[in-house]
Amino acid sequence: MPAHTRADKAATAVVQVGPPPVTNKRPQRNHLIPSWVLKVTMAVTGTLWAAFIAIHLFGNLKVFQGAQAYNHYAHWLREAFYPLLPKLSVLWAMRVVLGLALLAHICAAAMIWWRGREARGPHRAKIRGARAWGAWLMPLTGILIGCFIVIHVLDLTLGLGIQSAGFAAPISDESFAYENLVASFRRPAMACFYSLVMLLLAIHVAKGFTTMASDLGAMGRRWRATLALIGGLLAVAILLGNGAIPILVLTGVLS
Amino acid sequence: MKLRVEVWRQADPTDRGHFETHEVDGLEPHLSVLEMLDALNEQLIDSGREPVAFESDCREGICGACGVTVDGQVHGPEDNLPSCHQRLINLDDGASVRIEPLRSAGFPVVRDLIVDRSGLDDLIRAGGYVSINAGTAPDADSLPVGEQQAEKALDFAACIGCGACVAACPNGSAHLFTGAKLAHLSMLPMASTERQRRAHSMVRAAEELFGPCSYYGECARACPAEINLNAIAAFNHERMLAGLKRRL
Ligand code: HEM
Ligand code: SF4
Ligand code: FES
Repeated sequence: MPAHTRADKAATAVVQVGPPPVTNKRPQRNHLIPSWVLKVTMAVTGTLWAAFIAIHLFGNLKVFQGAQAYNHYAHWLREAFYPLLPKLSVLWAMRVVLGLALLAHICAAAMIWWRGREARGPHRAKIRGARAWGAWLMPLTGILIGCFIVIHVLDLTLGLGIQSAGFAAPISDESFAYENLVASFRRPAMACFYSLVMLLLAIHVAKGFTTMASDLGAMGRRWRATLALIGGLLAVAILLGNGAIPILVLTGVLS
Repeated sequence: MKLRVEVWRQADPTDRGHFETHEVDGLEPHLSVLEMLDALNEQLIDSGREPVAFESDCREGICGACGVTVDGQVHGPEDNLPSCHQRLINLDDGASVRIEPLRSAGFPVVRDLIVDRSGLDDLIRAGGYVSINAGTAPDADSLPVGEQQAEKALDFAACIGCGACVAACPNGSAHLFTGAKLAHLSMLPMASTERQRRAHSMVRAAEELFGPCSYYGECARACPAEINLNAIAAFNHERMLAGLKRRL
């Protein structure tokens, strides 16, 4: 088309005069708790749980030293630092702190998730690459880990509802943790569930540590790499250590 | 080459909007996404129809005015390039391509492919500036800045303000943009005197207008200025420091 035709058309275009253009107000929210505080809370409580999981994993490895070592360790937990501290006090302190930390972690996670959905609006973003899929998985792996914690406590601590037929609660001078564990993992469904959750937990922890580095404001490359490495190593340890136990019981290696 | 373009049409902010399909022929693979829209608009004008509204200015990747979503990907199929540098060579001849505005609740559509990115201006207004008492110019060497420090600050200052980070983020977060400003300004002697106040007000504004960060990392893949992901750590880093130190 010759240039002058287009110029003519532009010249005849109608200039619209009238009320100011309609606007769609940008959403603006005043949050009661700032998101950065929620994220720091998640980082701290997540780290606390990661530390607990690392210690718990170390304890679990005693399973390979046999029933006596494992039961002795389980029993020791119940009266750690006795007579310096009353029996069960360390155990209960841990239960309370970890319980509150988990509650804070879950509430913060739900609030962050909701704020993210609201701030994004109805058009979902494209998820590409391992980092983004890892973040996308966090709520999912988190919820399953939450279910697992409930099942785990019912199965091996309280012996309520879903415990194995031969469950025996600890008595004042002895624990039967090893026998309970073997009896529980003889059930294929339970063994598979435990191992599967360990995979999910490994993913949650590995991704969690990289997120945590950011949330705690670690800007240096070394800091970030170190935290990612710790998370990665812990994830592998969870998968190989914890994840293997149910499978080894199921295949009869541990009995 | 020929493309079947599904383009977003929306008359005004309150319109629901819809996709409109057009065949555009005679395109060259080295043309940019924006030039493809130019060709489409010529076609529309020739047939007496309303052209598609979209923003652009420099068309050389330095101004940050452009920004459309191509097949769900912010700016276009290649990472770290603005729409004006996204070439059609990444699309197949005869393929369908879907052109949408940048999507995020913080960026309401004004018309067709133009969105309201003034939320980013509000963030700058909240603290993305340096207050200097103008007077006699100081000696050039009176406030030395180390070369490495200057380079680092410049890397964060490379942001062109396009808003791709917000549009790429599944949480609608402006952490990359905000963090880049906070990091850049905290590294320079004059600007760092207002560091605490800036962190307080910019973080507050960013949380009011945009989403939180869950470390998806999509922002840094989309960012045409290749702002590093540790700008995101700068967001919390600066806010926590400001919380620890007394307010300026
Ligand atoms: C019911 C259980 C859990 C739920 C629902 C849950 C949920 C989540 C979610 C959704 C995130 C991502 C938050 C975001 O960035 O948007 C997250 C982060 C994280 N989680 Fe969990 N989680 C659970 C248990 C655990 C446990 C047991 C650990 C310990 C190993 C853990 C460690 C972490 C860490 C370290 C992070 C990164 C913290 C941060 O965001 O800075 N989580 N969790
Ligand atoms: S940080 Fe990158 S993606 Fe975000 S506005 Fe600046 S240049 Fe655009
Ligand atoms: S038009 Fe200026 S950056 Fe694309």
